[in-house]
Amino acid sequence: MGKNIYCLIIPYHMKKVFVVLSVLVLAAAIAGCAQQHKTTPTAPTTTPTKTTPAKTTTQQVVLIGDGATFPWPQITNWIDVYMKEHPNVKIEYNGGGSGKGQADFAAGVVDFAGSDPPLKKSLWDKLVNHPPAEGKGPLQFPDIIGAVVVCYNVPGVKHLRLDGKTLADIFMGKIKYWDNEEIKKLNPGVNLPHKEIIVIHRSDASGTTDIFTTYLCLVSPEWNSTIGAGKVVNWPVDKMGRGVGGKGNPGVVAELKNTPYSICYTELSYAIKENLKIVALKNKDGYFVLPNATTIKAAASHVSMYIAPPTAGYKENLRQLLNAPGKDSYPIVAFSHLLVWKHYSDPVKGKAVHAFIKWILTQGQNDKYIVPGYVGLPSSITQKVLSEAGI
Amino acid sequence: MSKEERYIDTFKYFLLPFCLFVFGLFALMLAVYFSASIPIFQHEGIKIYTTNIWRASENPNKEFYGVLAAIYGSVYTSVLAILIALPLSVSFAVFVIDYAPQKVKEPLIVATDVMAGLPTIIYGIWGAFVLVPLLKKYVMDPLYAYLSFIPLFSFKPVTGYSYFSAGVLLGIMVTPFASAIIREAYRSLPFMYREAIYSLGATRYEATKILIKEIKPAIVAGLLLAFGRAIGETVAVSLVIGNTFNISPSLFAPGYTISSLIANQFGNAFIYKYMVSALFAAGLSLFFIGLAVNILGILILRRYGHVR
Amino acid sequence: MSDNLNIRILKEKLFLICIGILTIATVFPLFHIMYSIIANGLPVLIKGGWSFLTGTLAPPGDGLGGIGPAIVGTFILTALASLIGLPVAVLTGIYAAEYPNSLIGRATRTLLMIMMEFPTILVGLFVMNLVVLPMGSYSAIAGALSLAIIMMPYVAVYTDEALKSIPPKYREGAFALGLTRAKVVFKVLIGLARKGIMTGVLIGIAKVAGETAPLLFTAGGASRVYFDGLNRPIGAIPLLIYNLVQQPYTNYHEIAWGASLLLMIIFLGLFLPIRLSLKEVKL
Repeated sequence: MGKNIYCLIIPYHMKKVFVVLSVLVLAAAIAGCAQQHKTTPTAPTTTPTKTTPAKTTTQQVVLIGDGATFPWPQITNWIDVYMKEHPNVKIEYNGGGSGKGQADFAAGVVDFAGSDPPLKKSLWDKLVNHPPAEGKGPLQFPDIIGAVVVCYNVPGVKHLRLDGKTLADIFMGKIKYWDNEEIKKLNPGVNLPHKEIIVIHRSDASGTTDIFTTYLCLVSPEWNSTIGAGKVVNWPVDKMGRGVGGKGNPGVVAELKNTPYSICYTELSYAIKENLKIVALKNKDGYFVLPNATTIKAAASHVSMYIAPPTAGYKENLRQLLNAPGKDSYPIVAFSHLLVWKHYSDPVKGKAVHAFIKWILTQGQNDKYIVPGYVGLPSSITQKVLSEAGI
Repeated sequence: MSKEERYIDTFKYFLLPFCLFVFGLFALMLAVYFSASIPIFQHEGIKIYTTNIWRASENPNKEFYGVLAAIYGSVYTSVLAILIALPLSVSFAVFVIDYAPQKVKEPLIVATDVMAGLPTIIYGIWGAFVLVPLLKKYVMDPLYAYLSFIPLFSFKPVTGYSYFSAGVLLGIMVTPFASAIIREAYRSLPFMYREAIYSLGATRYEATKILIKEIKPAIVAGLLLAFGRAIGETVAVSLVIGNTFNISPSLFAPGYTISSLIANQFGNAFIYKYMVSALFAAGLSLFFIGLAVNILGILILRRYGHVR
Repeated sequence: MSDNLNIRILKEKLFLICIGILTIATVFPLFHIMYSIIANGLPVLIKGGWSFLTGTLAPPGDGLGGIGPAIVGTFILTALASLIGLPVAVLTGIYAAEYPNSLIGRATRTLLMIMMEFPTILVGLFVMNLVVLPMGSYSAIAGALSLAIIMMPYVAVYTDEALKSIPPKYREGAFALGLTRAKVVFKVLIGLARKGIMTGVLIGIAKVAGETAPLLFTAGGASRVYFDGLNRPIGAIPLLIYNLVQQPYTNYHEIAWGASLLLMIIFLGLFLPIRLSLKEVKL
């Protein structure tokens, strides 16, 4: 009996599923074709002047970006504001890490990318000489200034001060316990527990790691000679069983929150948003400073910033903002960068990307659009890169 | 008659391309993995499989990759998984076939079928947010506190993300799968066996012991196929394994598996010269481990007549 | 003698208790999982309301927003995967059933079983290399192709078995009418086996709707854009959950729980009706 009922019900039920499915497929196919129709007619335009702005604004454009998680909260904020002002533009930015951003950009699978460290020459040459079909002529801009901060999760400890060498020793695994003499000396009166230090670092190729390890190279000759700097380094603490990897800045912060007696490095805005405890670092002039807008600006103002032209991004030096002199300067400060193409194979998309970049470098730098934890670029810099890029 | 035969042939030749397409796809997959792995073999040879180093660099000469930690982690967690699955799946099969009251029998089987099909990301979110904290608090911390002199428990559970967590989660995931195969074999044992054993005055325990021996090949095959599933699982494992290049005998240490290594590193691999190739080589090893285990499992099932 | 018997009875009792406990231990996680997903996900669905299903992702640390693009993506990906995978799978299944003793027929059956067990992440990497890189974009089509490859063996195996389970008299009768083999299969046998074939189709769909690993490097993901063409990135519910779980923000974890509940409902909605109408399924 039961079997008979099912024989009656199932075919009908399945027919329905089938109908729903085919409708969906059809809808998808039509939408796909519609999309094709929308973009193809613009490709063979005879003269560039013919594409009037009015025409482009009515056209729906979707831009896809990927990359650094260091500026991710800031970029997301910009996108939200920009999409409200320009309803015809939709923008996705996935924080897959600087490494993924660079990789995807080189492979041509995204329209723009975020990368904290400036590109290395080898990759830049590859982009110039072997661009993907997506576009050609790579351009690199700084878009925001941020700080890499050291956060800790030690129950009972509210203030912690470290200098560069001690920090390097902790991340090298040479300092094993929180109540180590070196740490005690820097923190008189703080009740440090006799617990093992758990070091949390990035597991993916990361611009934040590049900035942080470059700083450690500057302050610790031993770190410089044994480990070095890069988006990925071989963490000695992993082999001691006291290292934990987290994916992206978000992953690192999540691990820190879950792990007592741990320490990590991350971007300032994550620390602010998640209310993490931040280490005051000793700067070049010997003062202990906490990262905030004032101390980041101080660092930026104490060096004569050299911004490479967007068409030669690899020339920029990551070290220029690190360990800056000055009483108030926070020592680990860096630009984050955006990568776009000068020429896109799809002109509509190219226009939209360039308009977005221009907006970021002009209105976007307005304080009301800057997320706490970042500092906008001085207008002298934005003017310079915009005119040099010629977009 | 001869006309008839020609018709048959056209039908066969109509179907054949689709069949060959599936074969072609599989062969192409193997070819892609082989060809994509070649650069890393030329760069460092067999060391990709025998060392535990992950050195990425913009300078190709400095690049060096060894995925031993990931292979070790994959095998370790999968072995843990089938060690957990063995008692569970056999007991489940025996209980459901021989002892479960009629009313709960069917619901129990449906429950395990749901478990076998449940999206793995659901195991992942549950594992990361619920299972790991529980295991850490009630299993790892106490074991470490009292038994840390045993190497197996000697690692201080830091985050809870570890081989152990991954193994337990995988064990839960593959048990229903292994038990379906074992259950089928156990059910198909001729009723005569049971009658004969009971007629000798055996207790149910003794009877089961004898019957289990009869389906040993199916148990082995079920566990092999479960091992294959466990070793290929990606997202659930990568959320609980800790993702650290680490080779440790201790259960509570964090590690890597091949699939979680690929999931974590493939996205940024293209900026380096050899990393993509290294990950494809890692995938190739997974390819062969998976293939070997599955073929073996299927052969055993065929050989002993428990055809799936 | 009676001592011996007592021990034997004791052993039997112990044994029964043991396998009873282990049986409970086998299925207990399912209930714990369902409980956790509902307890954490239901409040989110209620709080988020309708806009949770239609809206776009909220900024970190600020509200629930919605997972609309992921839901749309999952439906499109599944539908596309079926469109690509089903014809090949059904025809391959027919071959295996019609020529079971030929070399290719036997090899096909073995291959299908191997593919059922194959690590899905390897399929994703393969499609990335084959489609995403040449095409220059993560795309719906690449994601669907990965899912199609994973779906194929389920559908083919079910088709094969459904056809084989048809009593030979139907086949003989059809041939006796003078029909060609193609007509016998398509006009008679497929009709008789449709329930079995549809089961395979639905199980395949239920399976791929929840897949994550093959989409990691193919679909690209989307949380603000619903659909932008087949050649552009697309979201999926499992992919979104995987990404959100790895974030530190509490609101993202809430969204992940809500999305998990939704995914579980979709899976159970597809799977339970099939499972309850059958004696057994292969997964």
